Amino acid sequence: MSAPQSIIVGFDGSEDSKAALRWAARLSGAMGARLRIVHAVGLLEHAGLSDHAVARRETALQVVTDAGVRSADVEWTVVDGDPCSALLRMTIAPESADLIVVGSRGSDAHAGSLLGSTSLELARHAAVPVLIVPAERQIGDTAPV
Amino acid sequence: MTLIVSGPTGTVEHDGGVFHPEQPARIFSVMDGVRALELDDEIVYPPTPKAELSDLSRVHSVSYLRELEAFCEQGGGDLDPDTYARADSWTAARRAAGAGLAAVAALEEHGDGVAFVPVRPPGHHAERDRAMGFCLLNNVAVAAASLTARGERVLIVDWDVHHGNGTQSIFWDDPNVLYVSTHQFPLFPGTGKASEVGGPKAVGLTVNVPLPAGATGDVVRSAIDRVARPTIEQFAPDWVLVSCGFDAHQADPLSELALSSGDFAELARIVNGFTSRSGRLALFLEGGYNQVALQESVTATLGALLGIDTHPVAPTYGGPGMQELRAAESDRERAIDQLHTLNPNVEGSR
Repeated sequence: MSAPQSIIVGFDGSEDSKAALRWAARLSGAMGARLRIVHAVGLLEHAGLSDHAVARRETALQVVTDAGVRSADVEWTVVDGDPCSALLRMTIAPESADLIVVGSRGSDAHAGSLLGSTSLELARHAAVPVLIVPAERQIGDTAPV
Repeated sequence: MTLIVSGPTGTVEHDGGVFHPEQPARIFSVMDGVRALELDDEIVYPPTPKAELSDLSRVHSVSYLRELEAFCEQGGGDLDPDTYARADSWTAARRAAGAGLAAVAALEEHGDGVAFVPVRPPGHHAERDRAMGFCLLNNVAVAAASLTARGERVLIVDWDVHHGNGTQSIFWDDPNVLYVSTHQFPLFPGTGKASEVGGPKAVGLTVNVPLPAGATGDVVRSAIDRVARPTIEQFAPDWVLVSCGFDAHQADPLSELALSSGDFAELARIVNGFTSRSGRLALFLEGGYNQVALQESVTATLGALLGIDTHPVAPTYGGPGMQELRAAESDRERAIDQLHTLNPNVEGSR
């Protein structure tokens, strides 16, 4: 097993996705891996009708900077699709990400069910490892340094 | 020609609130469009029982169906940022899928005519084991699979503005289904490149024609008539099912194609020409989120098939996309050639 070379992290602007991004930023920094922040744009967000938190590039890059990683070392990627499908597509060529990082509860979370949970759906479908960052923990205390 | 209306369903149930564009009010606009034809009691409304698990499991995994049923029994919730389920959504989705099966049965019983399936929730984004894009169960796929199960060959034309990723993936490697989609690209769901042409047993039996924002009706008509027609004629379908979204209309709030109601009338005439004989065409409602455009487009589409002049808004011309059509043809041919080169034993159509 080799160390991940190309990490993607799902980011929807929620607090959980910020925690996942902090973790991913520090992990990629420690391992020298490429990091791409992936924001999936669905039907409602495309039309400006989403009532979920808006994910902005500036917000994501500030999270990276606050985690002690240079924002210039990460990439911001916007992909059409639902979060699960968008992240899965990023794992196949030519994107070829080899590790997915997500928060355990996104803004679409529904406790106690496989349906409605991007992280659990990814764990079921992905052909690469999926790192699910716990939601309730203070990630800054436990993320790799 | 007889008009069979298998529905409506979703007039009350599966309600995500007035701020969600996929709402029960859509069906009322659609049925206003049917009533504008002034056919009254000439329309046949077959009974529309809920689809059974045995029907649904031809295209969805049993585990997904059980999870969706349980999710709804627990009150439902958000399945992703776009897609919701409510306590009554499992029943609503089964009714929608069942209406498609009833449409096929009614066409066979009458021996002629055209069927319209005004249902919600829509279906073409729903994959074998995932809901997405407002869709829970893939209505058109359930109907198509019921036909292929007895050896029929089915053409699915999907002119919804969004690519039908669910339908494509379900029939990706099925030599008895030809899937043709015109759609805005890039746009949700992010699939539908021209180079996506089908699996090893069905090479060439997926035809994707991605179109740029602003494309007009002449471009969409050329996509089906020029890019897809040779494959359709070679495939020689027994049945033609249409994923009949009206969100490519220029007034639709969720996308940026530029069709008019008259364009849908023209598209309906084209796909009607692909049927092997009368009584083998069914149109399944998918998207369409401007209520006025929905009503006018339904009237124009069904009127064109029934030979009723409904005076729709004129078809549109001159938008971008003709260059992209040529690129799509090239990308498609290259992808098929590559698959045949890599594995000379693959089956399907060039």
